Order: sequence, then structure tokens, then C-alpha cells
Amino acid sequence: MKNYKICIIGFGAVGKGVVESIFLKKEMIKQEYDAELKIVAVGDSSSSAISDDGLDERLLIETKETKGNLSDYPEFGGNLDGKDILDKIDYDILIEVTPTNIETGEPGKSLILKAFEDGKDVVTSNKGHLAINYKELVVSAQKNNVQFKFEATVAGAMPIINFAQETLNSCNIESIIGILNGTTNYILSRMTSEGSSYINTLNESQELGIAETDPTQDVEGIDAACKTVILANSILNIDATYSDVDVTGISDITSEAIDLAKKDGYLIKLIGEVSKKSLKVSPRLVKQGSAYDLNGTLNMATLKTDLAGDVTVVGKGAGSLETASSILTDLINIIRLK
Amino acid sequence: MRMDLVLELLDVPGQLVSVIDPIGGLGANLVTIIHQRDIKNQKGLIPVQLTLEGERENLKKVIEKFKELNISILKIDGKVQKEKISTILIGHIVDNDIRDSMDKINEIDGAYVSGFNIKLDGEDKSSALINIEADFGKKNLIFKRIKEIALQKDLLMINEV
Repeated sequence: MKNYKICIIGFGAVGKGVVESIFLKKEMIKQEYDAELKIVAVGDSSSSAISDDGLDERLLIETKETKGNLSDYPEFGGNLDGKDILDKIDYDILIEVTPTNIETGEPGKSLILKAFEDGKDVVTSNKGHLAINYKELVVSAQKNNVQFKFEATVAGAMPIINFAQETLNSCNIESIIGILNGTTNYILSRMTSEGSSYINTLNESQELGIAETDPTQDVEGIDAACKTVILANSILNIDATYSDVDVTGISDITSEAIDLAKKDGYLIKLIGEVSKKSLKVSPRLVKQGSAYDLNGTLNMATLKTDLAGDVTVVGKGAGSLETASSILTDLINIIRLK
Repeated sequence: MRMDLVLELLDVPGQLVSVIDPIGGLGANLVTIIHQRDIKNQKGLIPVQLTLEGERENLKKVIEKFKELNISILKIDGKVQKEKISTILIGHIVDNDIRDSMDKINEIDGAYVSGFNIKLDGEDKSSALINIEADFGKKNLIFKRIKEIALQKDLLMINEV
């Protein structure tokens, strides 16, 4: 039985989902892969919990939820920041789930690069650094001969990066077109079914907790553009960065436009498009009843391939355990290759 | 009766077979086929000329089957086939010389505006659906032209995927 020491930096919804999913699946991983996972460190923006003997998954979540931070974790709580945690603890795999920062990619970028230089494998769900520094990160991982996985960065639980790279590895993928943001898909779906205005639907989505208090990243297409960049680099081998994407959001979409589209057999969706010719995120007309006719917060993508034709994947694009499922898949894939 | 068709196919294995396969089963006969793999059109597709023979109803079924298989039919008995293109514009469409916008689309060779539906929202931005009928293969050119108009007049353009 091999032991793997896991360090998790970032303890928001996704971080908690990762801890929960490890709790739920550690027995299965032990039996199927002959591997024992031990969480040796968890850090959030202001606190930490560290123990070489392993931390209790349930107690980590309970401490965060009841006390608001990890410094109150019995016996092993503290106030170390991410970098200090990586310096202090002996670990094998870093799970970096800090919030996306599209300006600098920090603090995730520095943490990942440090882990690579220390010879550690990394799994991330953070889009910021990959959208602006994809090449630098991937090259550093290769140079340090470590594994770097980021399935969870694009469309949460929906398999796409590993699916394209491993399952469709006989095919040349010519383009990827899809709905890559659940919040905007929810807003546009509601505008279509209710005939409501953009602003009223956005307000309602915020009340339901589907849209953030500051919805800019979603509604202006920034989140979908980050995912477009990651797909372009990882699947189509296009050396692109965030600034290369032509981005238009949904804030100018009127209920009248949606109604006109509907009467002509179309729906309006925020679509990400990746091909050698085009890298863009914009509202588009899609045929009713087509693969793009998907309501609510679901994500989808159609991969146009040379041999298999069009292949479409659908799945939940967000959510704590859903996103954690992709992180755990990456973690298992790392373990399998060791 | 006989029917001449011009199709265009992707240059990938199995495309020609997928065209020939349904013909016999639908009660039509293949009389001639010209398929030159090394001659591609501007879109990188291979034009294929077919002559079919059969009852009118059966030939119609073959056409329907090709459409169902998403095979582009460029010509039937020498007549150029049209495709319908839809686009939506949002912004100050009326104030920005709507007539001029339509004229510019109609100026594109092989394309004309077949439908126009506008919804006004008081003093605010209006939304318009434009239907265009165009010769096959003109779609990207038309979208490019409308995009130019949209940029010039500060309109949001929503295209088909």
C-alpha cells in the first residue's frame, strides 16, 4: 500500500468539496488503487491546519463551518499562509483550489510553481493562472518532471480535457463549441422561459445564489473566456492567452431579442468557440432541439473530430462536490501513473 | 426520371460511402458519379457530381436523406440551392439608418434579405431578427459583412453557431 500526503490550499466551496470527496472515496481508492490518501495540510486565506499524521476530514469541514477558519482546528490549527505551509510540511500532491484571479493569477501561480520546483505533483481547479500563464506552468511541470492536472478548471464535473486527451486520443480535434458557463446559461434559460428582462433575471439569480454578488466574471464572459483559453492550449495545442479571446458577454441581451429568436426556431446562448481560426466567447443563436438546447446551469461542449465526427459532452459546470469529482479523478490518475 | 446533383463532401474516410449507401435502399439508381479527391473548393470540401435515376418520389426521398445526413447539396438539376441564414442585431438600429444596413446586405452577391422583424423598446435599444437567403457557401462572407455593419453602427450581432 502506497501512502500519499495531500496538501490542499484554498478552503472555500471547492476545497471543502475535495475534503468531503476524499472522505467519501478513500476506502474505494484504497481497495481499487492500493493507495492511502492522507490530508496533511489545509490552508485558506487566513488560517491553516497541519499534521504530518493526517487531519480528520469531517473535523476540517466542521471547524471551518462553525468557527469560520481553520486556526481553531483542535491541536493542529494555525495561521500559516500558503507558501509557509508548502515550506513546512512534507507532502506528495498539492491540490490548489484558491479563487481565480484573472489579473495576476496569484496566489495560485506562485504556489504551483513552488510545488513544481519542489518536485511535487499538482491538481488545480483555478482558471486564472492557466488563462494567463498556461505555457509557463506547463513547461515548468515538464522541466521538473512532475504531473500537472486541471480537469476541474473547465466546466466543473463535465469531463472534457481528460476525455479529449485520453479517450479521443485517436482523433484530431478541430474545434470545440460549447456552453461553458452555468450562471449565464441559467439567466438566458430563464429569460427564454419567463420572457423576463436581463436585469430582473440577474437579480433573481443573485437571490437564489446562482449568480455572484458581483456577477461581472460570469455575465461579461470572462469566466467562459478563461475556459476557452485552457481548452485551446490543452486540447487544440493553440498557444493562446486570455487577451487573445474575443469576448462579448450577455448584459446587452434583450428579452425582445430572445423572443424574436424563439419565434424563428432559435435560442440565444453564451457560446465559447475554440478553433485554429477563432477563439471567442459571444452570445449566439442555436437551433431549438439541438445539442446546445440545454437549460439551467448545465454545461456542454461539442468536439468536432476528424474520425469520430461530432462528440458532445454534458454535465454540471459548478458545485462543490461536482467540481471536487474532477479534482479527485485527476488525483487518482496521478496515483495510477506513479 | 433522372436528376443531376452537385454535393460537397468533407475529405475524410467514409464520406463518399455515406452518400452512395442510402441511394439503392430508397429505390433510386446511381447512373454516374464524378468524385475527384484532389480537387477541393475554397472551403476545402470536395464537390461530387451525381446523376440518379428513379421515380420522382424516390428521388425526393434521397434528397431528404442527404439533408438529414447534413450533406450539402449545392445544385439540383443545375439550380443553385439556397440556405437560410438568421442573425439578430441589438442596438440603435432605426437611428443608424436601417435602410442602409439592409441595402449593404442585399449588395452581397448571391444573398438577399428575406425577412426582417424588429422590436422596439421605447427610447431604449431595439432588437431585430434578419433572415437572409443565400447561395450555399456564402454564410461566412455574409456574417463577416454584417459584422462590419454592426461594428460601424455600434450594434451587438448575434450569429448562428
